[in-house]
Amino acid sequence: MTVSQPNPAAEGALPPPRAERGVIGWLRFNLFKDWRSSLLTVVAAIAVVFALFYGLRWIFVQADWGVVAELGGRIAIGNYNTVDSCASQNCFWRPQAVLIGFVLILGMAWGVAGKGMTRNIAIGAATVISLFAFLPYSWEEMGMDVRLLLAANLPALGVGWLLARYTPLSTYLRISLLAVAWFVVSMVLLRGITGAPGLQPVSVNNWGGFMVNLILAVGGIALSLPIGILLALGRRSRSPVVRLRIPLGNLRKLKLSLPIVKWLCIAFIELFRGVPLLALLFLSQYLLPLALPEGFFLTRIPLLRTAIVITLFSAAYMAENVRGGIQGLHPGQAEAARALGLSGIRTIRLITLPQALRNVIPAIVGQFISLFKDTTLVYIIGVLEVVEIGRSFIQGNIQIWGGADKEYFIFVAAIFWIFTFGMSRISRRVEERLGSDSRARN
Amino acid sequence: MKLIRRKDPESRSPLDEIADTRGEATEPSDEIIICRDIHKWFGDFHALRGITTTVRRSEVVVVFGPSGSGKSTFIRTINRLDEHQRGEIIVDGRTLSNDVRNIDAIRREVGMVFQSFNLFPHLTVLRNITLAPMKVRRLTGDQAEEAAMDLLVRVGIPEQAHKFPGELSGGQQQRVAIARALAMQPKIMLFDEPTSALDPEMIKEVLDVMREMAGTGMTMICVTHEMGFAREVADRMMMFDLGRIMEEGPPEQIFDDPQSERTKLFLSQIL
Repeated sequence: MTVSQPNPAAEGALPPPRAERGVIGWLRFNLFKDWRSSLLTVVAAIAVVFALFYGLRWIFVQADWGVVAELGGRIAIGNYNTVDSCASQNCFWRPQAVLIGFVLILGMAWGVAGKGMTRNIAIGAATVISLFAFLPYSWEEMGMDVRLLLAANLPALGVGWLLARYTPLSTYLRISLLAVAWFVVSMVLLRGITGAPGLQPVSVNNWGGFMVNLILAVGGIALSLPIGILLALGRRSRSPVVRLRIPLGNLRKLKLSLPIVKWLCIAFIELFRGVPLLALLFLSQYLLPLALPEGFFLTRIPLLRTAIVITLFSAAYMAENVRGGIQGLHPGQAEAARALGLSGIRTIRLITLPQALRNVIPAIVGQFISLFKDTTLVYIIGVLEVVEIGRSFIQGNIQIWGGADKEYFIFVAAIFWIFTFGMSRISRRVEERLGSDSRARN
Repeated sequence: MKLIRRKDPESRSPLDEIADTRGEATEPSDEIIICRDIHKWFGDFHALRGITTTVRRSEVVVVFGPSGSGKSTFIRTINRLDEHQRGEIIVDGRTLSNDVRNIDAIRREVGMVFQSFNLFPHLTVLRNITLAPMKVRRLTGDQAEEAAMDLLVRVGIPEQAHKFPGELSGGQQQRVAIARALAMQPKIMLFDEPTSALDPEMIKEVLDVMREMAGTGMTMICVTHEMGFAREVADRMMMFDLGRIMEEGPPEQIFDDPQSERTKLFLSQIL
């Protein structure tokens, strides 16, 4: 805006009243405006003090966090590295290599973004992960190799940053493609390859811990948005249309236009939205294998079936969010684009979707968060994801850890909260950035 | 306003001749838009009830009439934003049909300016203007930007090029919308009440741009109630009512000697 020019509106403009400025003014206006708000302020303050006192006392004095320490690495990777799943017990490095790869990519994102939130997240995450190397376990419980691989995350971040700065890997597109490629490589690495030295296969059924939740969430998020967009567009489409002409005797014909794609999309969306996720997961476990040919890969990997169900379930909701965004747009936007000679697909890609998605970022991120939390439901097929690994451990050692459920569940809740809070903060930033690009709308 | 064209069809300016020779070699006809008995229904509502008219190259036609009379629908059928259900429309030698390629080809030649501007709020002013030339006309970024800057100079707001539409006044936005349409180098410009959403002081700046455009020999169809503009610039005026053309003729006839009672009544109400 034209800041430097003298603003004619500034002449004769008065400063706001003194009472509403400064700390005192703020307090008076917001907390002690009249006797009712003063009373509420005092009551609320007392409640906060009590909650803080008892809460902090429980966390630091009364609670016994031994169960978290006892579970240790199993919270992160479940029974991945136990004798049952990895006979030689030298599979620990594979999840760690996956993690280092993602931290490297995070470093590259920081290199491209420069300052700001990306840098804070990158440095924060890498630092916390590296600090795990110094956990006060004995050398038997946590070997030098594990510690070194954890500590390697901080240098990995630096390497990523350097790569983004001094190699052609310096655009968001390339980094995103690299992240997708690394996700695929990670799956192979975690699964292992039969016959390859050092890559002994680890059955997907033995994957566990927070790793499973993150894999399901990342895969689900990355796929459910594009699928949801396609479903939303399909639901709004009028073509391809099957035209039927049914002759009704002398010269009269019944003409029918059947928008097949639209109907299929509506059926899909309503089906997946209308059934509880838990029911869908059960169906995928017990009904789907019966319907599939014997020996088909989907029948052998229950976790993959749940991953597909979670993704499609989320995509159905995503489709409705995106459709809401498209319908919220002024129809003149698409008209203007078409009037300029842009094709239908280009109009959607360049004009409709960018605006529609921006308008529904909160709903989309809400769905992402919901999906992330829903990944804990895969416990029903026996996968020891982060909640279940602790619950089953406590159940199995009820004499020793009988009362420790609350500590463990609060610990897991805190982990989920940190991740989801981060997601909502990122979405706020994305919204602000996109919003400031266009200020007022037409 | 030196560029204002003489309305007398006998004394045409050199600009008109240039504009005329630009037409397609295959269709040397002077008649750039031919409408024969167009009908359009919205559900049960009969919006256009048999429109038959012809627009010549470089002609400026002002369409006016009460709201709901089918004015906007009429010009929106010309670039098929609304589909007519009966009759025939021929634009620049092409008959409008359901063929998507045909429709896109016609839309490339027909620019449109809307009442609500319809600028793309997520793109800068410059990008608003260069988008279609780059994607549809396949200009390079540099070519398109150069052309866009020329157009912004022509509509008088080159300094706004890198702002977003939401940062501009209504009049500035509408001038960007005109520049955006002109960037496709259309042979015909359609204006759908371009000044109706503007404050009085901004109407003039938009009308000035339109006057200048008429002076360059552009074929224009304007739905507008700016009667001063119509009297000054229009070659022909059409009074719409109930989906029909009630009266058609040069501004002198419409203003000074209207033939239909409906036209007289309508003009007496708005003038």
